[in-house]
Amino acid sequence: MAPSPLLGEDGAVPVPTHVEVGRHTHTGVDVLQATTEQHTTGTTTTRVAVTVDGDLEVEGEALEACRLPDERGRVRVALVSAGCAGRNGRIEVEVPAGRGLEIVEVTGSGTHDVRRTRTQWLLDVRLGRDAVLVWPSLPIVVADGADVLRLTHVDLAPGARAVLRETLVLGRAGAAGGRIRSTVRARLDDRPLLAETFVAEPAPLLAGAPAERRLDTLLVLGARLDHPEAMQLEHEGTMLRGPAARVHDGDLGRLVPASVASAHALASSAP
Amino acid sequence: MTDVVGGRRSDGASALLVLAMLADARLPTGAHAHSAGLEPAVQAGLLTPAPPLTGGRGTGHPATRTPPATGASTAPRGGGGRGGEDVARVPALAATRLRTVTATEAGAAVVARHLWLDRRDLAPVEHAWAARTPSPAVRDAARRLGRGYLRLALALWPDDLDGAFPAGSAPPRPLVAGAIGAVTGLDALQVALLVGYDDVQTIASAALKLTPLDPATTTRWVLDLHPAVAAMAADVAHLTDPDDIPSAGAPMTDAWAQTHARTTRRLFHG
Repeated sequence: MAPSPLLGEDGAVPVPTHVEVGRHTHTGVDVLQATTEQHTTGTTTTRVAVTVDGDLEVEGEALEACRLPDERGRVRVALVSAGCAGRNGRIEVEVPAGRGLEIVEVTGSGTHDVRRTRTQWLLDVRLGRDAVLVWPSLPIVVADGADVLRLTHVDLAPGARAVLRETLVLGRAGAAGGRIRSTVRARLDDRPLLAETFVAEPAPLLAGAPAERRLDTLLVLGARLDHPEAMQLEHEGTMLRGPAARVHDGDLGRLVPASVASAHALASSAP
Repeated sequence: MTDVVGGRRSDGASALLVLAMLADARLPTGAHAHSAGLEPAVQAGLLTPAPPLTGGRGTGHPATRTPPATGASTAPRGGGGRGGEDVARVPALAATRLRTVTATEAGAAVVARHLWLDRRDLAPVEHAWAARTPSPAVRDAARRLGRGYLRLALALWPDDLDGAFPAGSAPPRPLVAGAIGAVTGLDALQVALLVGYDDVQTIASAALKLTPLDPATTTRWVLDLHPAVAAMAADVAHLTDPDDIPSAGAPMTDAWAQTHARTTRRLFHG
């Protein structure tokens, strides 16, 4: 039997010690409802928007933005963290009808030893009709003692597409890692497309566990990516997930260009 | 006590009998062909013992060990293999499902019941459930079960369920269970308990076909999981809005189900 694509090189399921059976590493309670009311103090908001004319607007002080040359009609912007680790942040992204935006993260939004502090990030994405967003995040490192809440809301108008990537790394090699709750809620044409909460808590280090425990997720929303290991959502969307550092054909990042191509293919074939 | 034989749908004894009937494995819905995710997990190596832990074994609970080595049949690791199976992981799997997949299903059933009490459209519940179930293999299994439930339900309560599910639709089992609950006098907690109990019992009985076990052992698992079932049901019983249905993801369950759906060597649909 061919080894599962989700396995490590040694044939073992390399992760996830954090989603093991028998531990309270998941919650049946929706994180979004449980915690948004605490999302109040010390929040910095950054707004990244493309105008209907194709210009870029950036407001807010938490992130510095640098415009890059456009590519395939997409406005490209590099976001650089301005030393806001440990604070709460809200990033609003808006792309109007027919426009494209690519966000390039220059530094990872790693949560470096935010001890005993809850860090909350709300990503609020609104895409107009036939708009395209490409946002392959850098890995989020959840260091020991960190308590991270990440909420990603994506609202897609008909024909809009988004390519998102989220990599959660629980602790550095040899560390138990912190706690993270990541919720993704996407709606397409005002109908639920994806609603998922992933909860990971510090887990004891175990023999056979990989040096890094990570969950790598590639999401294509509003379009589908054809891939043998992909999970096709009920409605227009694809989730590709590698709980291991390596999946079948390498790092999920290598699939981002294909995902973007599928999103654009849909755009060009749209009526 | 009311007269059970002539009992109306709203009385307690009648509802309890309906609940017992629906939870009975002999109900002709095809549920025996399902393992509630156990066979996919076993094929991925759930029962293969973990290699010995290094260092302090402060967390020696079986369920907290490294997840399964895989390819169990071809490449046993750590002295694993048949005979040394770690069967305690079976009830642990059921407990994990109660916090993830099954909580979503029970929540969907509760909301479907609520809406169908007023004969409201159940499509938003199906959309919400599907958005919380990214794995097509998991969705397919739930719909296959739903088909069996629906066929039976439409034979038993054709008038009460008229219009609940458009012809040709493929509702997942929790939606059908919720609608049945609405027309048979089950309350929300009973509907959630039914979904939770059914999942646990499905795993327990499938375990008997997948590995040598004493049926008393698997029944003990079910009994020991009763508090977890009750807690899950209590968590979702108040729900009325599809948006509030729990959405805790289970990446390994999804991955195992996807792999299982591609294999031809299997006893169960999912």
